[in-house]
Amino acid sequence: MMSIFQIWLGILQGLHVTALVTLYGLLFAVPFALLFGIAQHLTTGLARFAVTAVIEFWRSSSVIILLFVFYYALPVFGIELSAMTVGAMVIGLNIGGYASQSVRAGLQALDKGQSEAGSALGLTRAQVLFMIELPQALTAMAPTFINQLIQLVKGTAIVSLVTLTDMTFRAKELAQIEYDPVAIYTSLLLAYFVV
Amino acid sequence: MQEHSLAPAIDIAALNKWYGTFHVLKNVDLVVGTGSRIVICGPSGSGKSSLIRCVNGLEKYESGTIRLADTPLEMDAAKSSAARRQTGMVFQSFNLFPHLTVLANCTLSLRRVQKKSRGAASEIAMHFLEKVKIPEQANKYPAELSGGQQQRVAIARALCLNPRIMLFDEPTSALDPEMVKEVLDVMTSLARDGMTMVCVTHEMHFAREVADRIVFMDQGSIVEQSDPASFFAAPTHARTRAFLSNLLH
Repeated sequence: MMSIFQIWLGILQGLHVTALVTLYGLLFAVPFALLFGIAQHLTTGLARFAVTAVIEFWRSSSVIILLFVFYYALPVFGIELSAMTVGAMVIGLNIGGYASQSVRAGLQALDKGQSEAGSALGLTRAQVLFMIELPQALTAMAPTFINQLIQLVKGTAIVSLVTLTDMTFRAKELAQIEYDPVAIYTSLLLAYFVV
Repeated sequence: MQEHSLAPAIDIAALNKWYGTFHVLKNVDLVVGTGSRIVICGPSGSGKSSLIRCVNGLEKYESGTIRLADTPLEMDAAKSSAARRQTGMVFQSFNLFPHLTVLANCTLSLRRVQKKSRGAASEIAMHFLEKVKIPEQANKYPAELSGGQQQRVAIARALCLNPRIMLFDEPTSALDPEMVKEVLDVMTSLARDGMTMVCVTHEMHFAREVADRIVFMDQGSIVEQSDPASFFAAPTHARTRAFLSNLLH
């Protein structure tokens, strides 16, 4: 029987993978959220429909299905991506899809007088966006971004399904070796909570 | 000023604007001479705010022309930056930028549009903050100021860009009564300096003291316009009389 200390040590061997997937996931999530949230705010008609369609694809699809499709199906078309890349991309863009809605909501919640005052002062639309609207919208939305970061960390557990030895994968290995799933998965739960 | 004296500061001819099917401005003609001070009044929904928002390019219009000292304002106002630069706008709800200090509110456009250095922009901003008697608040954020102080900052912010015409859209309507005077005092001193001003306001005392012409609008049209003495003493139109008696009693 492993001691709790040994279980923790075993699980934490997967910590760096969890951390890496989270970090790479952010590299997908943050630009996607900003770009598409802003685009949805600024566009109308057909362009807006296209932007919304892309957001909804990533936001509304099941992450586990996206993961399998991109990991197992893309190589069929000659596109080989590493498990790390696929995992970070799928989780990052999924969370980025949610975050894009926070960006858009933050922009749309601003009083119209803010952009009017900016344009009355001679600022261009882009200057109004970057100097007046975004600073206010992102500050107002900061708590929901923290929420989404937490979702991202938790979401990374899914990469254990495509061979990455993250904390969840390590816990499964340990559970199979040690036949002590209760202690091991409880420790895993606490590990994510601590992270 | 001399080189502009031939053309009026604002020349609006046959202006029409619709919101959907609602005809908000109906064939409006209005000429504002350089240095003159116009007060526009009228019941809510009469189109007075829409009119000055068109002059500032914040609203599109469907037909007619607006010329600012011989520079036409295109119907798609986004293309009319040269004309728009001549006007400064003060809003009912101040519309200061809450994430910037008072000073940064004033210097934003000086630095980003006019590309002035930080030092030069601050110098201009402090000059106008002194003019509105609020220089000591320069490093505070708008939320730390009273409504009257915020509106004075908004006036200073507009003045920083050296506009030839100042437009006021109900500048005191959102203020507590005890703060109205400090804003009107600033506007009065601007008028004494010779600024061309168009004010949408219900402050009839201000209109009587400061305006050289009062324009009364109702249902999208200019019903009558005259100097304050005749406007208050002998309004010619029944709708003007009804409006004034509601306002004064």
